Amino acid sequence: MAKQILRCTVNDEDVEVLVPPYQTLLDALREELGLTGPKEGCGTGDCGACSVHVDGKLVASCLMLALQARGRTVKTIEGLAKDDVLHPLQEAFVRLGVPQCGFCIPGVLMAAAALLADNPRPTESEIRYGIAGNLCRCTGYTKMLDAITEAAGTVAGGT
Amino acid sequence: MAVMKTTRDVKGVGLSIPRPDGPEKVTGRVQYVADLQPRGLLHAKLLRSPHAHARIVRIDTSRAKALPGVRAVLTAADIPQLKKKAPTRAHAVLAIDRVVFVGQPVAAVAADELAIAEEALDLITVEYQVLPASVDPLKSMQPGAPSVADAGTEADTSEALAHSAVALKNEATGPAKAVNIAQQSRVHRGDAAKGFAESDLVLEKTYRVPMVHQGYLEAHAVLAEWDRNGLLTLWASTQGSFNTRSEVADVLGLEENQIRVIPMECGGGFGGKIRALCEPITAELSRVTKRPVRYVMTRREELEAGMPAPQVIIRLKTGVKRDGALVALDAETVIESGAFSGAVLAVSAVFLGSMYKWPAFDIRGFEVLTHKPSVAAYRAPVAPQTIFAIESHMEQIARTLGLDPVEFRRRHLIQEGDPMVNGQPWQSNGGKQVLERVAQHPFWTERAAWARSGNRDGRGRRGTGLAVGGWLGGLQPTGATVRLNPDGSLSVLTGQVDIAGTNIALAQIAASAYGVDIDKVRITTGDTDVAPVTGLSAGSKTIYTVGVAVMEAAKDARKQTLEIAAKELEASFHDLDIEDGKVVVRGVPDRSTTLASIGKKGNLYMSKIEPVLGVSHPAFSQQAPGFAAQLARIEVDADTGELTLHGFVVVQDVGCAINPLGVEGQMQGGAVQSLGMALTEALTFDDVGRLTNPSLLDYRKLTAADLPNIETIIVEVPSPSGPFGARGVGEPPIIPAPAAIANAIQDATGVRLTELPLTPERIALAIAALPAAAGPA
Repeated sequence: MAKQILRCTVNDEDVEVLVPPYQTLLDALREELGLTGPKEGCGTGDCGACSVHVDGKLVASCLMLALQARGRTVKTIEGLAKDDVLHPLQEAFVRLGVPQCGFCIPGVLMAAAALLADNPRPTESEIRYGIAGNLCRCTGYTKMLDAITEAAGTVAGGT
Repeated sequence: MAVMKTTRDVKGVGLSIPRPDGPEKVTGRVQYVADLQPRGLLHAKLLRSPHAHARIVRIDTSRAKALPGVRAVLTAADIPQLKKKAPTRAHAVLAIDRVVFVGQPVAAVAADELAIAEEALDLITVEYQVLPASVDPLKSMQPGAPSVADAGTEADTSEALAHSAVALKNEATGPAKAVNIAQQSRVHRGDAAKGFAESDLVLEKTYRVPMVHQGYLEAHAVLAEWDRNGLLTLWASTQGSFNTRSEVADVLGLEENQIRVIPMECGGGFGGKIRALCEPITAELSRVTKRPVRYVMTRREELEAGMPAPQVIIRLKTGVKRDGALVALDAETVIESGAFSGAVLAVSAVFLGSMYKWPAFDIRGFEVLTHKPSVAAYRAPVAPQTIFAIESHMEQIARTLGLDPVEFRRRHLIQEGDPMVNGQPWQSNGGKQVLERVAQHPFWTERAAWARSGNRDGRGRRGTGLAVGGWLGGLQPTGATVRLNPDGSLSVLTGQVDIAGTNIALAQIAASAYGVDIDKVRITTGDTDVAPVTGLSAGSKTIYTVGVAVMEAAKDARKQTLEIAAKELEASFHDLDIEDGKVVVRGVPDRSTTLASIGKKGNLYMSKIEPVLGVSHPAFSQQAPGFAAQLARIEVDADTGELTLHGFVVVQDVGCAINPLGVEGQMQGGAVQSLGMALTEALTFDDVGRLTNPSLLDYRKLTAADLPNIETIIVEVPSPSGPFGARGVGEPPIIPAPAAIANAIQDATGVRLTELPLTPERIALAIAALPAAAGPA
């Protein structure tokens, strides 16, 4: 099948790339644009490792075709830190020792960032459900909860 | 060796220091195998068997080979090194003549694009003659069952050696002429039959734990490339690059120094990435295409044809006196290994018979093959399954006799010096300490109030349960070097794959042993061409063994540094110390030299000063068992069987918490894997051996929404041989939860469940089956 042109905004930059019509957004980001932060953990939308934001909404990029992102704004984990300054969520994840193997972390951070954008002061239960679409096998989620709670305080306190 | 004393406080052992690669991990910059994209990359796919057992009559690859973009199509006939009687799963690169489990690779394709490789698979035709399959291990171990392995295939015991370092003598007690019993063992002491006759309470139950998947989020992946000199480089997701190198060399008939294994970031392993799996076939595809080839398993392939933990069935019978005195234990363990041998039979026997002091026991073990995916290690292999049986049993005995469950356990729990079932003495351990500590927790002391607080709407039954379990501690020879750099900083080199954050802990050990702050230490995981030989990241032995290598190498480097300084300062070696980046003479404040100047002189043209290079490559034999106790506070909906975890506590003896932050992470993560095994996880197969839940929607792992925070309590009973007294940390926390939850369910509802997972369906049906009068008050 002939490739088609995908024009969209990725991490605040306009991009133009040729993609096959069957290619997922995840594969286009990883294979065509070199953004390998989003991971494929299952390819069926069950694990959340491929989570990105499309027009500010949390999306499993393995379930979306790349061409569905035409004209839209995509943000990946690579776009979460601004000018090498870590996002408060990223800073808290590092300081509280959340990452172990690290494979789920980009997806969890994107889910948490989407949660805090909608709900700057979530309850514990809201955080738990906010990242319930993200499987992690190393951490048991406890330190993640601590880090998101701390970062939520920082984000909310700063605004 | 004695616990190393540092002369002054350096920033090192004992501090919660975040791992230095954290920023790379949270920004998506760390590189896993699937993130590599070299020029000329080809993508591999495997055609897998749809049948659990079938003869391959004919394979036609001609149409696949003709598809544009396909660079190679291989079958077993193309790889002459392959042996028909494959001794391990790794050797069964592609099926020869016969397939023995659903998902077994039959043909391999390399193509320009993944989509082309997938299309090529559809163009390969395989004619199968379907054969009867053995899918139930209890039937498979009977005479006349369809045979899994080719006659004469040897059992693989290397996994057991890697993990437990516990040997048992083989002794056959199973049915004669059983073709699918790969290994058997028996350990016995005293007269168990006489013991049962003299017992006041004889309890017999059969416990079942299904196959479960390790669940690492990064599927198996490898990138292979041959260079023009015939050298193979593998970028691997592995728990042990030297082991990967050995297995690939053996399977493909290569010299080990022809292969370079570069360990990439490993997205979780938990035992499932010790043994080679897809590395040999990917290397072959690269060899024939002369191109780099990348293979990444899909999640479905992982679940259908990974290397899960075995199903374990334990029939356990105990005899005790009315006052709780232990008399006799009789057990029969069946470990279902799938299509290839490799289970750790000895571990199960040791924990069944050695956790508590049984005067008489008879324990038989059988490793049984079936037409299912073959198994591998999963974090403390076979220990959670075995502890589920013995700790469920101990709880029932205590309840039946009206004894306090903690006091009953404490009375009989082993201590240092007590013999294990194989006669070896238990090494120093904190079993009693973790049990006593967990019993002080408010969840336990206030369990009666918790139980009373439930039942308000007639459905919510509240209960509390605990269990204790242990791991013997792994061993493996290993090596490390510590160099002093020209600026006074240290470089530590090992081959240890860092998955969970062990490198920062090793760096802390180097800092404390040498005498500099952690910010002066950098640690590197080298590949197999540059690193000293290093063992697996498995068996809870990275800190315990590599930690010793790093500690001794740092002490060696310190000694060399002080010897150089002693000459320069004209002082006795014994009067020197390292402080703030300087070697100082004690009590003479103005006589000192800097580490930087010593480091520089070791790297100066025409210098006579030797460069400081600390080396250690220990192989030691003393194990350090690690014990954990876990405590669950739960509520069960008596109508639906839904179980809510209101609190969960892990108490663990870690010897010495080198980095408490990392230790807590291990305890929490292990506990949640253990809870997954307890509550939701099972690979389920139909009666012809097909997996019925091959996705993460249907293979249900626990999410953040299913769980409370996991509370961690660190206990430190120093080990005699570990660095700074440390013990292994990874394994113990995955062990007790299934028993703790089952015990809590009994406390809450009165029902005793003996088969995992403890699903709402099983709980509700068991409650419904209770005689009306026997229900909880």
